[in-house]
Order: sequence, then structure tokens, then C-alpha cells
Amino acid sequence: MAGSAGDTYELDELLGAYALDAVDADDRRRVEDYLEVSPRAAAEVQAHREVATMLAFTGMDAPDDLWGRIAGEIGEQAPPPGPELAKVMSLDDHSRRRAISKVVPWIVSAAAAAVIAFVAIGLADRADAPNEPLANAVEVARADRDSLTTVLVADGTEGSAEAIIDQDGHGYVLARDLPTLQEDETYQLWGVVNDGQVISLGIFGPNPEIETFTVEGEVSALAITIEQSPGVISDGNPDGAFVGTF
Amino acid sequence: MRREYTDASDAALVVSIGRYQQAALAEAYRRHAGATFGLAKRLLNDHARAEEIVQEVFVRLWNEPNRYDPERGTLRSFLLAHTHGRSVDLIRADAARRNREEKEARQQAVGGYDISHEVWDLALAGHVREAMETLQPGEREAIELAYFGGLTYKEAAERLGEPEGTVKSRIRSGLKRLRGELVQAGVSVGSD
Repeated sequence: MAGSAGDTYELDELLGAYALDAVDADDRRRVEDYLEVSPRAAAEVQAHREVATMLAFTGMDAPDDLWGRIAGEIGEQAPPPGPELAKVMSLDDHSRRRAISKVVPWIVSAAAAAVIAFVAIGLADRADAPNEPLANAVEVARADRDSLTTVLVADGTEGSAEAIIDQDGHGYVLARDLPTLQEDETYQLWGVVNDGQVISLGIFGPNPEIETFTVEGEVSALAITIEQSPGVISDGNPDGAFVGTF
Repeated sequence: MRREYTDASDAALVVSIGRYQQAALAEAYRRHAGATFGLAKRLLNDHARAEEIVQEVFVRLWNEPNRYDPERGTLRSFLLAHTHGRSVDLIRADAARRNREEKEARQQAVGGYDISHEVWDLALAGHVREAMETLQPGEREAIELAYFGGLTYKEAAERLGEPEGTVKSRIRSGLKRLRGELVQAGVSVGSD
């Protein structure tokens, strides 16, 4: 169990190795005790595991007869599954390097306008907030006075989203109140960072709830746009965008 | 296969698995078995053992679907974490370690590699490769030894001749950097 600040620091440093199963039994027990009391640490471990998921992809198919053995073990024979589906994601063959867009003036302009509309909404009393590690991590981030919080709203469109970025650059978007989109559409998060660059921070799908992202450096504004799935690399759609400033 | 499952979210699939809908498990297998098998095969360098791991992972999902919590991550991440953990258990039991040092076995040609695979493979692999290139060499080595080598960070430190604390920190900082790079590249990390 974490006690002193030094213990906490040491345990935090173990989170990456723990997420990759790269700790021995003693360290594993210490980290798991720590995760019980630290939703932030639990969220970090999950984030590391999602990254590991990306590293793990090999494009390989499972052997043809393996499903039959599984089906045989669990009971009645099921129809054989087909090939693996492609994952919905942003594609751009030309994006050889990170997909930082050029400055998108409309977001910057909208962010400036949104200052007027900015309202601090306390969501701590949200009755239906699930008592899960991610929700807890959101609460921890929200309660930290060093975190940045904003509400993203759109002119003439109902719904809003709350965004929180903690001091380590871990971000959370509570997007339950955004309108549900068509299946072929997706919400996409953008950030105005450092020198005014607008970068894509994530693609949330048509019906987001609590979404996470990370960002380095200073963030002056966030925007959520509505794009055709699977999203775009740059130049987001300004129509109906939800914008919030810090 | 029941048609409705092909469009179902992973979370919905797991709910149906909890109701003993075998077709839902088949759909989960269709989506994720390739990735789980590929990871186990890469870690163990043993086709038969990799199959055993995949079978165990999906049977466990069938028997204990409530262990998956969609609020905590994607189903793929959940299945791969289990796959990785079980594979590492085998490696550390020294059942597969001897073979891992040998030259990679001849790749078995596997059928069904369709265009959707190629799109995913090329796009994601490109993003991941670029993200890996942004890591410091020490971070990359530490992550590779820990994740694909099945070593503890202490073992990785010994292998690299670096202090344990340094390797531990590099794994964490490298994963954070990778995530940031992937997100900036527009890759959705951690959502269905």
C-alpha cells in the first residue's frame, strides 16, 4: 500500500512495467494494492494496456480449426466465424509523420468567441455517474485544483461536453450529453496547443460517453467536430462544432 | 452466424455472451482471435502453445464475461492483456524460453488475409512504427524486452546493463510517449 510520497512515486514508476506484466510477484502485489486506492493509477495502467494493444497487432489470423476446438469445449457447435473486421480509424497514406494539422483558423476564432459562453458546470452531483475506475479518475482530476476544466458548447446546438486535463496531460471528456450521431459519423476532438497549432486528439465515435486523451504542452482550447467516419487528419468540419477554452 | 452480431459493439457482444449466446462469442473470436493468436505466437514462438492460449482466453471470456468491464478499456485490450499474461507465465515457467532464442520458425501461410486486414495493418503498423521511432533508444529497448521478451523490468535491466529504476521509468515514459504520438496521429487508442 502506498504511504509516503516517496512510496507513491515509486509505485507510479512501476505502473508501466506492471501494465506489461513486467514485474515480479512482490511488485505485482504492491501495485495491485495501490490500484485499489488510486483510481488515477488504475486509469494509467489501463491506458498503458491500450497502447500495448496497438503494439501487439500483427495482422495474423488464428488457425482455421481453432474455433472448432473452442466451440467444442464450451458446448454446441457454432457457425465458423469469418475474417477479422477492420478497425475503424483515421487513415491517411500521406501522413508520414504525426498528423498535426495546419492551424485551422475557425477553431481559434470559435475558441475566442467561446470565452464569452464559457460557464463552469459542476457535474459532481451527476446521479448516474458509474462508480468505475475511469469515472473515479475523472473525479480525481476534477477535484485537483491544478487541472484545467472547460465545457464545450456549440452555437445553436443542444448538448455539451465537459473536458478536464490534469497536470500530467491526461484528459477526459464527458460526452454523454452530446447528441447521438448517425452511424457513419463520428465526433473528433481537437486541441489548440502551444503556438496555436490545432491537433487531432482523438476520435470518439457517434455516441461517446467518457473518453480519454493525452496532450503535451499548453492547451488553450478544445473543439469537438462532427466528421464522417473514420474521422479526418486535419481541417475539421466547423459546422456544429462544440468549443471550450481554458 | 446471427447477422445482428456483426454490427454489435464489443460491449454488446459481451452482454450476449453472458446470456450464453454462442454466436456472440463467435463474433468476438472473429474480431479478435487473430490479434490474440499473433501476440501469443510472437511471445512463445510456438504454434501449438499459442493456440492453447487463445483457446483458454476465449473459453474464459465465455465462462466469465463479467470480468470484462467496457468502462475500463476495449475488449481487444482485455483479451490481449490476458493473452500476454498467460504467455508470460509460460515463458517464466521456462516452458518456452529455450525455444525463444532460436531462429523464428518458418512463417506458416495463413489464409483469409483480406483487404480489410491490409488496410488496418498498413495504416496502424505505419503509425505504430512512426511512434516507436520517436522513443529514446533506451525506452524502445526496455519496452521490447518487457512486452515481447516477457522479461520483468529487473531482468530487462540486467540484460541492458542499466539500473532497475532507470528501466522501470523508461518503460513508463515510453508508453506515455507512444500514446501521445498515436493520439496525435489520429489513432483512436482505447475506444471501440
